[in-house]
Amino acid sequence: MANITKKVSWSSRGDESGGGERTPLLNGSEEIRITRQLSGDGGMFHIGRLSTVDLEEDLTSEEDTVRGCPKEIPHNEKLLSLKFESLDYDNSENQLFLEEERRMSFMGFRCLEISRWVVCGLIGFLTGLIACCIDIAVENLAGVKYFVVKQNIEKFTEVGGLSISLILWAVLNSAFVMVGAVIVAFFEPGAAGSGIPQIKCYLNGVKIPRVVRLKTLVVKVFGVICSVAGGLAVGKEGPMIHSGAVVAAGVSQGRSTSLKKDFKIFEYFRRDTEKRDFVSAGAAAGVSAAFGAPVGGVLFSLEEGASFWNQMLTWRIFFASMISTFTLNFFLSIYNKKPGELSSPGLINFGRFESESVAYNIYEIPLFIVMGAIGGLLGALFNILNYWLTIFRIRYVHRPCLQVMEAMLVAAVTATVSFTMIYFSNDCQPLRPDQSEDYPLQLFCADGQYNSMATAFFNTPERSVRSLFHNPPGSYNPLTLSVFTLTYFLLACWTYGLTVSAGVFIPSLLIGAAWGRLFGILLASITPNGSIWAVPGKYALIGAAAQLGGIVRMTLSLTVIMVEATGNVTYGLPIMLVLMTAKIVGDYFVEGLYDIHIKLQSVPFLHWEAPATSHWLTAREVMSAPVTCFKRIEKVATIVDVLSNTSTNHNGFPVVVPVAASDDPGKICGLILRSQIIVLLKHKVFVELARSRLTQRKLQLKDFRDAYPRFPPIQSIHVSQDERECMMDLTEFMNPTPYTVPQETSLPRVFKLFRALGLRHLVVVDNENRVVGLVTRKDLARYHLGKHGLEEMQLAQT
Amino acid sequence: MFIVQVGTLLIALVYYGNAQTSIVAVNTTIPGSELSANGLKQRAAVVVPQSPVFHPGLRSQFSLNLLSAFPEDLEVSDYCFELLAIFGQRYSTYVNCLVSAARPVKVCQNCYGTYSNLMEIYKNISSDQMGPGNVSCRDSLLRSDRLMLVFLLYNNLEDIWTASECNRCVSPGHHSLTNDTLYFMATLNQSLSCFEKYQKQGNHSELCKECKATYRGLNELYSRMEKNHTLCIDIEDSMNMTRILWSKNFNCSFPRAETVPVIAVSSFMLFLPVIFYLSSFLHSEQKKRKLIHPKRAKSNTSFMNIQDKFS
Repeated sequence: MANITKKVSWSSRGDESGGGERTPLLNGSEEIRITRQLSGDGGMFHIGRLSTVDLEEDLTSEEDTVRGCPKEIPHNEKLLSLKFESLDYDNSENQLFLEEERRMSFMGFRCLEISRWVVCGLIGFLTGLIACCIDIAVENLAGVKYFVVKQNIEKFTEVGGLSISLILWAVLNSAFVMVGAVIVAFFEPGAAGSGIPQIKCYLNGVKIPRVVRLKTLVVKVFGVICSVAGGLAVGKEGPMIHSGAVVAAGVSQGRSTSLKKDFKIFEYFRRDTEKRDFVSAGAAAGVSAAFGAPVGGVLFSLEEGASFWNQMLTWRIFFASMISTFTLNFFLSIYNKKPGELSSPGLINFGRFESESVAYNIYEIPLFIVMGAIGGLLGALFNILNYWLTIFRIRYVHRPCLQVMEAMLVAAVTATVSFTMIYFSNDCQPLRPDQSEDYPLQLFCADGQYNSMATAFFNTPERSVRSLFHNPPGSYNPLTLSVFTLTYFLLACWTYGLTVSAGVFIPSLLIGAAWGRLFGILLASITPNGSIWAVPGKYALIGAAAQLGGIVRMTLSLTVIMVEATGNVTYGLPIMLVLMTAKIVGDYFVEGLYDIHIKLQSVPFLHWEAPATSHWLTAREVMSAPVTCFKRIEKVATIVDVLSNTSTNHNGFPVVVPVAASDDPGKICGLILRSQIIVLLKHKVFVELARSRLTQRKLQLKDFRDAYPRFPPIQSIHVSQDERECMMDLTEFMNPTPYTVPQETSLPRVFKLFRALGLRHLVVVDNENRVVGLVTRKDLARYHLGKHGLEEMQLAQT
Repeated sequence: MFIVQVGTLLIALVYYGNAQTSIVAVNTTIPGSELSANGLKQRAAVVVPQSPVFHPGLRSQFSLNLLSAFPEDLEVSDYCFELLAIFGQRYSTYVNCLVSAARPVKVCQNCYGTYSNLMEIYKNISSDQMGPGNVSCRDSLLRSDRLMLVFLLYNNLEDIWTASECNRCVSPGHHSLTNDTLYFMATLNQSLSCFEKYQKQGNHSELCKECKATYRGLNELYSRMEKNHTLCIDIEDSMNMTRILWSKNFNCSFPRAETVPVIAVSSFMLFLPVIFYLSSFLHSEQKKRKLIHPKRAKSNTSFMNIQDKFS
């Protein structure tokens, strides 16, 4: 018997009552369900309820008085939001589908295959083009900004009044960031952040509202330009992945619902299964454009969405990645007035690590592993700090105007801190002709020298990373680097999670490169003849890898991305070891940053495996019951009422054949989706009408596709009083062979089925094939392994 | 014996050049690296004449022997020997000039004439025009062996010329310095004489004030030239020296004078987020989530630990 013996973290939710109100509330909610067709609160469910006899039930029975009014708790990470739905990866093999397949010729399938390739090529091309636009825009805007500020600083260094330069810098930063934050906060909140968590969720099978819309893409691109030009501690690489995914989702549909333009092409791809494949290609193309790493892009998609995979798809994704990096390269070469010289494959260019001095030796590997451990620790610290900050933001900084203000403040403070650092730095270095200091600041240095702190702060983050990797030994002194690391760590941690679209890759790399270089310098100073092999640039690279690995905890794809971005395969082993160590050390403390943010957004995310120690849970305990079912031929009024019921926003309805005793649940004969019913209602496919109008056009699969992906809500469909009395025949449209499991199936088994097939609904039946429950994504995602064993998350309205 | 001297010098120079490049590549101060280069030079001078095999003085005898051994068409003509001799002469003149102009760097202003001479003779050697007697010295002098010494020697010097960017300061045709360069030198001299004038008084603050205008003019001219790409090593070096004089010796850089306003403004800026977060914590309504109680066969909507089921 399930005795609930322990409760955790009551303190965080003071207004939460004990577990005792559960039973009353269940009853309460059942009272509300008056329109339910099958109120099958039969013996089956009492068994379930009895099996969870709670010893504390009596203690808190006075809570009965508050039943009916929903509990409110502060946001925390142990919630599942109702607004997220699953994607329909499972193909509905109804009669319409079979008919269409029969009609399609051999050539038709050939053309489909070819058009898949065409779409992938287009995805790669457009993604590369977008990356190119972002790069050029950021470069020019930041160039103008730094030029103005530099002029101003130079002027005021001489005549006095540097605090005015400080204010100018802060105001310019805030202005850029304000534009970026306003468009994100007021027009498309979905474009905030790096977008990688959202794409991870999408590939996992969660439909995040508005995540692959054209509007999101536009806001994302402009937002990232503004935030990078605004000098925040952010990068433009993460948003590239999201942009690629949106491009893919748009191109593959052959139309834009936002622009209300339908090109009447690629109609076959208008369903979730096909779209998901293209989105993974788009994400790969995004990675590829961001880092110049086509293989890394493919592996990124593989790592994030690997449960739905095949070899041809991989090949197509690789094609999209290659096209994307080539396009970026080609257009940038034209922009740089060297057409055809393909030397900038990615947005971030690590430069080449080719000289002999950056080769590593076998005795350095333990050092690299130590650096990996440091990266893991720092990454865990970063994640923990960011976690608390994000919780605070969700709870208190949720109004758009507050979010804009916060972003502006961060921008101003970033400028202030940078300026103060530069102002008080005494680290002067001679200018070199070969060095690419774009905006060298002299300030109080001797003529012909520049302020070394300014190369790190007074620059776009990408360039700072590159100078940390490649500037010759002696370009930075240790004090500068340690102050920079500390400041940038805090700034980056504070910045991630703001309502601007921006990525965390570059800041992580920058932090890591700074302390890695510091590590290299210290190493060179403690070893007797260390200056020969302890090249700071090499350690900067390893440090960057360690820090990035410690924060995002990606493994395979990150290794390949780093190797490809450096263009040096011999670094494969050290980078792999470093990322491994960073992940192991970091995972001991806290999850990766993206996983934390996924959790904080209350997304029902399914991990690779069901939580360990969950084999004793069976489908009966996991499932939702009772199930709202429809009969094969159902009255329109019933259907409309069920769909309109806002308290039960169900999406899948088993179609049953009623058994003799009306109280018992019926035998399953199919499954129909809300979206399908809505299309049916819209076209008024009623039995009576079909009889009266014999010439009525038969509904085709095309009608369902035309409505995809934005099916109208039930409220927008008008059903007259007469029509309510009609009947609907669902036989033709339902999926006649839904997946079912018996009640005794264990949770890991259900989980595996769900994860591997990408299911949305899994019907639980008893031994007579009667529907007893329905397992959805939220039922599975709520179990997770916490500190005290298996814990359950709550459903919440967000 | 003229050729002997040239030969030793050449060999020494090649060594010297290598030593130089290695110093640059390592870029750390190996004590005595300069010494070792010099040592090499001396050693070459000492060793070479004693060694019978490498003794260039024996070349004439060897060549006599060889000449008798080779057929007529492989022989190096007298005309080419003549060219080679002139090449050697001009080579040594140029190298001498370079060495004497090494510090402070004046390689462009002092040596453009000798370089142009050297270039001319090399052009003669390497041209494919037939000399008298229908011979081309290009093949016999430049390409007949693996070492290709003449080419190598010339190439080294050409690299030095390219690296010093002297072309930017010397008018095309190597007849004179460009007007820009001359103007820069004049401006530089103005500044230096100003420095000298006030330096005698021993008061650097006076110097900083009085010479500021000329110095700034010089700086502006320099950055203009930098933008136009008309800088050569001579100008860069003299500007560097002047800047070091100005900043380090006379200490005329800008002082860090306004620490207080900067600190005031930045602490105000840093204070803003604190106010923001505090006020949003106190005044903003905390976002609450409405819990939904799902339909369950068993009612387990509460937050609980269910691992100890069998305990």
